Amino acid sequence: MSETKGAPLSGTIMVVGGGIAGLTTALEAAEVGYDVIIVEKNPYLGGRVAQLNQYFPKLCPPTCGLEINFRRIKDNPRIKVFTLADVEKVDGKAGDYKVSVKLNPRYVNENCTCCNACAEACQAEIPNEFNFGMNKHKGAYLPHEMAFPYRYVISPQIIGTEDANRCKEACPYNAVDLEMEAKTVELNAGAIVWATGWEPYDAAKIENLGFGRYPNIITNMMLERLASKNGPTEGKILRPSDGSEPKSIAFVQCAGSRDENHLPYCSYICCMASLKHATYIREQYPDATIYIYYIDLRAPGYKYEKFYNNIKDDENVKFVKGKVAAVEEATGDGITVTAEDTLSGEKIHQTVDMVVLATGMQPSAASAKLPADLQFTEDGFVINDFEKGGMFAAGCANRPADVMMSNQNATGMALKAIQTLAKR
Amino acid sequence: MSERFLVQPDVEFVKDLRALGGETLKKCYQCATCSVACPIAPDNKPFPRKEMIAASWGLKDKLISSPDVWLCHNCGDCSTQCPRGANPGDVMAAIRAKAIDHYAVPKSVSKAVNDPKMLPVLAVLPAIVFLVVGLGLKVFGVNWLNFSPELNAEGQIAHSNFFAHWLVDLIFIPLSIWAVAIFALALKRFVADIHANALAEGKTDKEKLELKPFLTSLVRVIPDILKHKKFSQCTENNNRATPHMMVLFSFIALAFVTGFFFIYLYGLGIHGPYNQLNPVKILANIAGIALIIGGIMLYKQRMEKTNEVSTYKDWYLLWIVVGLGVTGMLTEFTRLAGFAFLTYLLYFIHLMFVFHLFAFLPFSKLAHLVYRTVAMAHSDYSGREAKKS
Repeated sequence: MSETKGAPLSGTIMVVGGGIAGLTTALEAAEVGYDVIIVEKNPYLGGRVAQLNQYFPKLCPPTCGLEINFRRIKDNPRIKVFTLADVEKVDGKAGDYKVSVKLNPRYVNENCTCCNACAEACQAEIPNEFNFGMNKHKGAYLPHEMAFPYRYVISPQIIGTEDANRCKEACPYNAVDLEMEAKTVELNAGAIVWATGWEPYDAAKIENLGFGRYPNIITNMMLERLASKNGPTEGKILRPSDGSEPKSIAFVQCAGSRDENHLPYCSYICCMASLKHATYIREQYPDATIYIYYIDLRAPGYKYEKFYNNIKDDENVKFVKGKVAAVEEATGDGITVTAEDTLSGEKIHQTVDMVVLATGMQPSAASAKLPADLQFTEDGFVINDFEKGGMFAAGCANRPADVMMSNQNATGMALKAIQTLAKR
Repeated sequence: MSERFLVQPDVEFVKDLRALGGETLKKCYQCATCSVACPIAPDNKPFPRKEMIAASWGLKDKLISSPDVWLCHNCGDCSTQCPRGANPGDVMAAIRAKAIDHYAVPKSVSKAVNDPKMLPVLAVLPAIVFLVVGLGLKVFGVNWLNFSPELNAEGQIAHSNFFAHWLVDLIFIPLSIWAVAIFALALKRFVADIHANALAEGKTDKEKLELKPFLTSLVRVIPDILKHKKFSQCTENNNRATPHMMVLFSFIALAFVTGFFFIYLYGLGIHGPYNQLNPVKILANIAGIALIIGGIMLYKQRMEKTNEVSTYKDWYLLWIVVGLGVTGMLTEFTRLAGFAFLTYLLYFIHLMFVFHLFAFLPFSKLAHLVYRTVAMAHSDYSGREAKKS
């Protein structure tokens, strides 16, 4: 698959964002013979998918799918990857863009063998963003076990401190290079695909749902990390307050989504995510009771509906039609959630050990405007202008989507990018 | 909602609610955030989520006879937290307006009171009544209306030399009886309806509405109402509790003052104007000032509120409140200052406001005084209190 067949092609496609949509776009375009540059802001590829424990509905680990993609990238000389890179400016027009890309220093070169000597030498610890701050890692670290490129990073936070020198001295391969500096490069591209993805909506903004006030209220993405073998609890779902095993868990659907005070749109994935999370909990704690508070459950399509029906048959999973609108701490660090069960017309106060807020997705472009001549919805999603062409958004930069939809969309945008080059 | 019932939508009712401030009601998607956001909704059949769907479906009978729309104090907490901007608070207020309209007869008066186009007619109506009665009596040689009033024996301006208190009371006593009678008729239906509604919707297990325990409940809720116990649980419109209390207490005080001077006048035969140091007079002055301040504060708060719809029904009541206070106090000031023409004129206008208060009380938003009190007593009787977790 990795070699070009047919006539030689010219032109480069830039893909901004190395998450699942960006990887798919890049591979689809490169494997039919186009040169592709991937610009990723993190020190690793894989994006949000790399943080997941399992995909729905197949419940397989996403790392396995990512691994195949990384293999294809490694084998394909047409793909060039920049990590720790930010697009600063885009000039030009369809078929002929000049893109300024800032390359931030990793302070570790390709000599790195991931021996961990630098991390052992480093004393400073910093919050682990990959795990949503639920634990810490050293100032020199591997972002996660499946990180690609498989190479350590030295946090800018320890640069200039004694720790940085300790890391350098500890490295037996001369891989630590503290002289690295940020630099801006000018790159040419005929088409650009923005696959800048999403951020979990800031749950602390949803004041009535108590996130940040009570430790045992977490978000759905935090639960993914808790359930992941490479997460802060090595895959055990435990209460943040005391590390105990939760016996009852409530899921709050539409936490900040479909809400004019927060995200007015449906984030699409949260229903299926919570249903999937129910399977994580049922597997670890067969006796635990799960409550899912919802307005409407959206499990579109045959496979998702089947998934939903399977969970609905589980008597330990209780569905309550009514949104949780108030939370309160109960004795023993428990949480009492309040909702009106709209089917019975009674207000319920349910005390559980842990609450998971099914927070939605906000496009990354909502907080950091993309430095290009693009059109956005009020919420920060890119509106694809196919008439104008040249630049397209794929995956969650364009609309809330799950992995499957992101990949379908990314394949389409790869074709759109190719068409831009072919027309030139 | 487990029981089956045939939905018979009343489209006109939906239109009316939308016109009365519930414009946004169709935005509701039944998430029930409002029922939880509401600090005073009980656990058993909380509001206003169920009212929102009933409003959307045009279930007029269900809503008009609902005690719950009256338990709502228009806190606004539901509207603030509503994820759709459906403003349940405004919808509840619109339902209450329709309920007032439903229970008050004659319908033609209700229609006129709630139609801004009729305001000029209603505004001059009391003046016409006064002049017609006053001039009519002159024909029979009864001089209760005097356009060139003289000073009284003490050399003071006395309003009764302009409008004899006989004339004033000849009009206001029947008007009070009219208001009481209309309320009595309305309450007869209202109480039966809300009890039937509570029974049908499982809000009470008391089959029959017994008078004595109901009255006990009524006595029990009155201190809570006076203390604004429910009102002060609100977050969003919490700032309204104090001015509302000022207005309510002013009305109570002024009712007392009126009754007291009524006895003074007819019982003891002592005519006004009364001494400024008379304790009852002092109370009247304090109440008058509190009425103005409270009324203006409420007015200002409504003006400044952007996420709440205020309609004619709201403004009409506030005009009456502020108008009563301002004309009342100015009448007194101008009298003391000796501005004869001005004070008679203001007194005349003041009487017009009082006329509106009495005549249109059962048809205006002010009727909440009666309906909410009764609904709260019924809720207490039903044993359906908000459980605070």
